[in-house]
Amino acid sequence: MINEKLLIMDLENVKAQMRKGVLEFCILSLLSKGDGYATDLLNKLKESELIVVEGTLYPLLTRQKNAGLLSYRWEESTQGPPRKYYALTDKGREVLKELQSAWKGLIDSVDSIVNQ
Amino acid sequence: MKKTLTINLANQVFHIDEDAFYRLREYLDRIEAHFSDKDERSDIVSDIETRFGELFGQKISPQKQVIILQDVEEIIRIMGDPAEIGGEEKAEERDYAASASKPKRLYRDPENRVLGGVCGGIGQYFKIDSLIVRIVFLVVFFGFGLGLLIYIILWIVVPEARTTAQKLEMRGDPVNATNIGNFVKDEFENVKKTLKGKKR
Repeated sequence: MINEKLLIMDLENVKAQMRKGVLEFCILSLLSKGDGYATDLLNKLKESELIVVEGTLYPLLTRQKNAGLLSYRWEESTQGPPRKYYALTDKGREVLKELQSAWKGLIDSVDSIVNQ
Repeated sequence: MKKTLTINLANQVFHIDEDAFYRLREYLDRIEAHFSDKDERSDIVSDIETRFGELFGQKISPQKQVIILQDVEEIIRIMGDPAEIGGEEKAEERDYAASASKPKRLYRDPENRVLGGVCGGIGQYFKIDSLIVRIVFLVVFFGFGLGLLIYIILWIVVPEARTTAQKLEMRGDPVNATNIGNFVKDEFENVKKTLKGKKR
């Protein structure tokens, strides 16, 4: 007999993995349209339901920054403390280009299988 | 009437109820414990603290000047549990760790030793009772006179499992936050048991 609980966990894991790969791509895409700070990104990603809990974003940003894909600067804000604005680096732009073509390829492949 | 504390969160001052403070402290500690990489951790924690500050700012007004437990609970729900946060972007790694053969290394086991813990370590490595290893060593020693030499060489060559990570490696458990947490808990229980035993 299949363990129902395990099945649900696996399903959540699959969904989380799907989101995970796409999320990094989306962060780079959003930042390619203009620099932004974490809360900007959060609002957009939550609107499109790509992020379930806010905390998920911060480790991703930190890792992309440490990988040299993003840089950041502090900017004064009219409300509250200074904000950390992230910008795409040259390396980040290159990676984004790669991901864009990979994404297109993936959509085509998945489409051709799913809609066969 | 309630006692409040004043905290500095991302360079902003907040008044916070005592119970709310402890809830927040506990949550931030858990976040911190969740990320093992030092460089990552300080960035992530400070980013999350900044976000807390931002959301706290929306919770206070001239009519409500104190952060209460309910506010903290609500924001923690928005931020997500540390396991959830790490879980989403660590899902792949965890899968990999579970499917790949667990890394296992030969260490001397300091907790199961007569001399240097060599036999204990070999027992752990092959998942056999260390008593059997010891008997084999003794038989080889008396039978062929080689056992002692082999033992001394192994004593010198095989490192002792000193850190928690090494002890987990010795047992063949993957080194991750959950296992380290469990290990520390087990150790704590062991010490508690020993102490209780001694008192009696």
